[in-house]
Amino acid sequence: MTRDWWKHMVLILGTIIVLAPFYMMVSYSFKSPGEIDRGEGGFFGRQEMMIDPRCVALRQPDRADIEAARARFAGQDDASVQASLLAETEADCSMRPVVFNYSKAFTEAPLVRYLLNGVIVTVSIFLIQIVVALPAAYALAKLKFWGRDAVFGLVLFCLLIPVHAIALPLYIGLAKLGLTNTYAALVVPWTISVFGIFLMRQFFMTVPDDLIDAARMDGMSELAIVWRVMLPTAIPALLAFAIFSVVAHWNDYFWPRIVVTGNRDLFTPPLGLREFKGDGDGSFFGPMMATATVIVTPLIVAFLLAQRRFIEGITLSGMK
Amino acid sequence: MSDLQIASVTKHFGETSVLKGVTLDVKDGEFISLVGPSGCGKSTLLRIIAGLETPTSGNIAIGGINVTQLRAADRNLSMVFQSYALYPHLTVAENIAVPLQMRQMSALQRLPVLGSIVPGARTQKDDIAQAVRHAAEMLEIAALLDRKPGQLSGGQRQRVALGRALVRDPAAFLLDEPLSNLDAKLRVQTRAEIAELHRRLKATFIYVTHDQVEAMTMSDRIAVMMGGEILQCAAPDVIYEDPDDIRVAEFIGSPKINILPVERNGTALTVFDQVLNSRLSIDSPKVMQMGLRPEALQLTQSAPRLTGRVVHLENLGSEVFAQIALDSDGSRVTLRAMPEQRQNLGLGAPVGLSFDLNAAMIFDAGGARLRQVELAATRAAEVA
Repeated sequence: MTRDWWKHMVLILGTIIVLAPFYMMVSYSFKSPGEIDRGEGGFFGRQEMMIDPRCVALRQPDRADIEAARARFAGQDDASVQASLLAETEADCSMRPVVFNYSKAFTEAPLVRYLLNGVIVTVSIFLIQIVVALPAAYALAKLKFWGRDAVFGLVLFCLLIPVHAIALPLYIGLAKLGLTNTYAALVVPWTISVFGIFLMRQFFMTVPDDLIDAARMDGMSELAIVWRVMLPTAIPALLAFAIFSVVAHWNDYFWPRIVVTGNRDLFTPPLGLREFKGDGDGSFFGPMMATATVIVTPLIVAFLLAQRRFIEGITLSGMK
Repeated sequence: MSDLQIASVTKHFGETSVLKGVTLDVKDGEFISLVGPSGCGKSTLLRIIAGLETPTSGNIAIGGINVTQLRAADRNLSMVFQSYALYPHLTVAENIAVPLQMRQMSALQRLPVLGSIVPGARTQKDDIAQAVRHAAEMLEIAALLDRKPGQLSGGQRQRVALGRALVRDPAAFLLDEPLSNLDAKLRVQTRAEIAELHRRLKATFIYVTHDQVEAMTMSDRIAVMMGGEILQCAAPDVIYEDPDDIRVAEFIGSPKINILPVERNGTALTVFDQVLNSRLSIDSPKVMQMGLRPEALQLTQSAPRLTGRVVHLENLGSEVFAQIALDSDGSRVTLRAMPEQRQNLGLGAPVGLSFDLNAAMIFDAGGARLRQVELAATRAAEVA
């Protein structure tokens, strides 16, 4: 054991605290409701066959069913036919908890639709953020104009404004424009990212001036320089920014909850979680956690794939 | 190709004045070097010619057309940068093709995927590829066309930068210290290649360097800049043999020119109280400076004009440079000697030096050349 053992202890403790909710989420998504309530079954649960009570309730055999099935159960009275049918229904409605949770996640609510909405919203936000941030950052880093420092000061100042402070005026503005319950309402308020401008400006400061001058000599306009020279050299920084942007807007619950009222076709994945919120009939923790797992998986996979370049981008050492 | 006029260009950065009224005419096809110590404004002048900086006052004209207000992209000039400034994300071929793409193809044709279906894009692309290959073959980098700049050595990057400059037909080539990042051997080789390229293309070259050897070996004319001014602009041999200013004389020439204080006593020109001749007019200044190139000094036994001791010796094989501390005031002069004279030049050995007054250059106390005084002095010498 090295002298640094306590540092590792602190880090391990931190890791446990961070990972515990994820552990719970994934574990609940595997277990049956009973195991979740009683807190038993370890990580995977026992995976015993369980009966979906709602499925059974929806398929109670009625008079017509009994009449139709009489031929199959010849010589039995109505009560025993009903009992046999009920047993069949229960057999049909019984499944492993993990199958139950994940099939519920996709069938109870249009989760695929929500995921698609999430992709549409986050990708639109990110692309428009780049269209705005790259030219702005280029101007702030490489062009000389009157008041440049003041403008950059404003950018820094805007970093200090919390979203929630301006949420209400933004909502009122969108409502007056009749834009609530549209994709525009989900996308437009986020299209100008001061953080993106700041991050890209810091990166562009490290790009040698000669490269830009060479582009000018080669006949490029300033905008051509932004898209043909600065954008390709800034890929690592853009990846870093992409992670910040996509994670923030994929996971955002607050803003979609405000501007999407009622129209389930526009729900983003986090809003989809509300579908399993217990109202009268108790919470569906299993399917809810399965949904949560499905929602975070794309992000975690993307992060693991881009991890190295992401860190490169943050340390701004991508060039040279 | 066309000539280029720079008319009383000044440039101020805030309070500091970097260029103080520079005027220079560059003829079509001329190779002109802007040379001077760092901070003399030579790079700023080049950037103003290129259109990357705007002058505070003055005009730039290319082929008789005033381009002072034109942006760099519209001036039809090519530039090679000290850091090469290649696009790191493009291959060598793509790097060289960029100036042609930006100038010959329409914005529509340049679009990544759609561009290839625009009418004419195919032939344009083929023409450009042809031009790129031609330039690459001229610079012997055809084998590197598919590599990225990051995979190239300094010398190869330098060639790619040259290729990008010469792939189109610009009014002039501007080169900003293109050799300073190369090692000594490669520098000598590339120097010869650039000079040869100039002869082959017959294009106007404006070459910025702080290295007087580069300027001396490649240029048709050298413009020596100092403190934001052009002190003298002339052919290399004129700059060396007949400088207008003591700063030019001191900057050009390696080892440096020897400067000795001379005085006028009555009509006599004296150095360390020794009379060189006595035919000066009395309106020439009393205190003057005399410049003597190291090769103008000769070892002599009989009646030396200067005496001293050898304090340092540099043997270059083909020639020997000896630093000699003068007995009269301890100042050092450099002597160029032949290798066979080395036995007379042991460290600490006393030596006598003579020189031909014809080879001496006389400057006033401020550094301006005094050709009148020289004329009078040499005439006197001939009479004597």
